[in-house]
Parts: sequence; structure tokens; C-alpha cells
Amino acid sequence: MRFLDRPRAAAVLLALSLPLQAADGAEAVRNDIVSSMRARFPSLAPADYVAGSAAFDPVRQSEAAANRPAPGAAEAIEAGRRLWTTKFANGRSLAGCFPNGGRRIAAAYPQYDRRVKRLVSLETAINQCLKTHGQPLLEAGDPATMGAVLAYLRSLSDGQKIAVRTGSAPAEERFEEGRRIYFARMGQQNYSCASCHVDHAGNYFGDNAIPAPLGSAAAWPFIREGRPVTMQMRIRECLDRMGAAPFPAGSDELAHLEYFLAYLSNGIAIRPNAWRPR
Amino acid sequence: MRLTTILVAAAAALNAGGAWAQASQGRELFIRPDKGNCIACHQVPEGSGPAVRSDVGPRLDAARLKGWDRERLRGLLEDPMRANPGTVMPPYGRHRLLESREIERVIDYLHALP
Repeated sequence: MRFLDRPRAAAVLLALSLPLQAADGAEAVRNDIVSSMRARFPSLAPADYVAGSAAFDPVRQSEAAANRPAPGAAEAIEAGRRLWTTKFANGRSLAGCFPNGGRRIAAAYPQYDRRVKRLVSLETAINQCLKTHGQPLLEAGDPATMGAVLAYLRSLSDGQKIAVRTGSAPAEERFEEGRRIYFARMGQQNYSCASCHVDHAGNYFGDNAIPAPLGSAAAWPFIREGRPVTMQMRIRECLDRMGAAPFPAGSDELAHLEYFLAYLSNGIAIRPNAWRPR
Repeated sequence: MRLTTILVAAAAALNAGGAWAQASQGRELFIRPDKGNCIACHQVPEGSGPAVRSDVGPRLDAARLKGWDRERLRGLLEDPMRANPGTVMPPYGRHRLLESREIERVIDYLHALP
């Protein structure tokens, strides 16, 4: 993590020290946000939000249609397939670490692992497999390796409806932690994620309509300038724009945020590797 | 008498030129992504800044800013949460996004909007 200057560090520390609000449970939080979006955008169905900005912007919809399939998506998926199926020295592979070679598994991630008492994201699970077999780990923020693997892996779940579960007190606590970070003001700009994506979803920030939180977990990775961008990579970009020091790639904080956002998208079909503009 | 008239006119022109220069500096601060980046949330009248679709905050023009004297604008730009704790507007002064003199130039620009 890069060096924090004083205002940034203070803002992050403030955000992380805010007391937990009384949790109403993941399903109640999700219902509140879904109801709020439905009331504000009655013409949009939950699945429409997967398009991000284009859900609100006809101009962006036309651009997205003109870039379907996304330039560079096929190459990224193929690069990921090669990494996924390449045999390690012991004859195993990433594909061998997951049920059905990784088909139709992505919709259940992140998930809480009671054994290690942590959230397991797809990034974590991939690196755990590599570690088990004595392989070098992938950098969670690298589009060429982890991004490509996830472009391929999530393409194997294209159309599967997100089905992230809590189901235990520790899992609910992780969801609540993700919610807390999402709503905490951070950085020099003093925004929270929710300041823009909940309070001002559909408004234009410059020429970009602000995407809603619903559906964001179904859309990743998206392809920007030919490179896959995962949800965690995108969150780090957002934090940087907020003037906050981004949580490290692969960190628990990013996993908590992803868990919160994935839960909000429950029931929405995964549509990975779509085009997004710079 | 004639010399006095010329001197007064020259001083007025210099003053106007200085005001224009200060408003111009404010315009740049209003637009620059690494400074105010106010244009990302607010539209301004045609010819006063880039044409954007921004609508997180209100469109800013002379009518909207009526009653916003320098002191009131300074307070807003310093820390808008004082007046509105729920605002998404950044605390430009409190978080040192803009220095005091830069806040003054943004005020010059806002007061020059038609």
C-alpha cells in the first residue's frame, strides 16, 4: 500500500473507527436498497442494473451495443483458460481444485469459510489452490493473470443467478462489515461509496451516469481497453478517486465489500466480460 | 483633467483585467480533476465552462447564486457539512483540496457567472 499522506490517513482511520450500526441483517439491508431503487427507477428491473451506467444512459447503451462482444474479451478468456488448465509440476491444475472444473461455481462467491473463519473470494480460492500445490500466487490486482483467470472462470457461470448466502452469525458480521465500509465516508473527497452509488445512482458525474449498487457484482470482470477489470480492481480505482488510500488487492476489506455487493445482487444473472469505457 | 480621466480609465481597465484573470484562474480550479473538479457535479452556463451532463449538484448561474456573498460561499467551500451534514460536496478547505487563495479564485469565478 502506498504511503498515506496525513489527511488521507486520517480519513481512512476515521472511517474504519466508526462504530458499527445496529445490524438489521443482510436480507433486511438488501430489501431496503432494492425497494429504494425500485421506487426511484420503477422502469428498471434488477437485471437491468448489470449494465452499469448504461442502465440509465441511452448513449452509453448504444456504445455498449456497438462493442458487443467486448474487444479483447475473447483473448482475455483464452489467456485465462490456458492458466486455468495448465498442469502444475505435480500434474494438477487450477481446474482440478474446483468442482466441475469451475463450472457454475462463481455465483456462490464470496462465501464464509467456517474452518478458516474468513471470507473466501474467488481470488482467495484460486491462490489457496496454487499455494496447496506449491505454485507462485497470482497478484489479485493484475489484469493479465488474475484478471484473465477470472474472466475465464466467471464465463463458466455466465447466466447463473448470484446466490451468496450468509446463514451464520460470523457471515452476517462480514456482510455488516462490508456494509459499514460501503457507507463510511473516506478520503480527501469525503465520499462514501454509498454517497454516489446509492444516494446519487443515475445522476451524472461528468458525462457518466453513476451505476447503482445492484447488479455490480454480476457484471465483473468487465473489459476496458481490452483488459479484464475485476470488482476488487474497480473498487480500488474508486477509492483512489475518492482520495483514499485503496485497500490492498486481496485484502479482507475488499472481500467484505465484495460480499456486501454480491449479496445485494442475489438473484441477478452473472454477465461477465462486457465492454466498459475508460 | 484630461490626464486624470485617462488615469481613471486605465485603472478601471487594469482592475477589470485583474478581476477577469482571477475569475479565469477560478474557472481552471473549478474544472481541473486534481483540484475542485466541481464541473463533475455542476453544470454552468454555455460559454462559462465545458458542456457536461453533470447533475449531482444544481446548475450554477447568477440566478442560482443570488444571495451567495463571498462569506457565505467561503463557508460552503471550506466545509459544506457544517450547513448540510448529509451533503456529498467535498470539504475543499477542511480537507485541503483547495488552498484559501484558491477558494477565493473559485468565488471570483462563481460571482462572474452570467
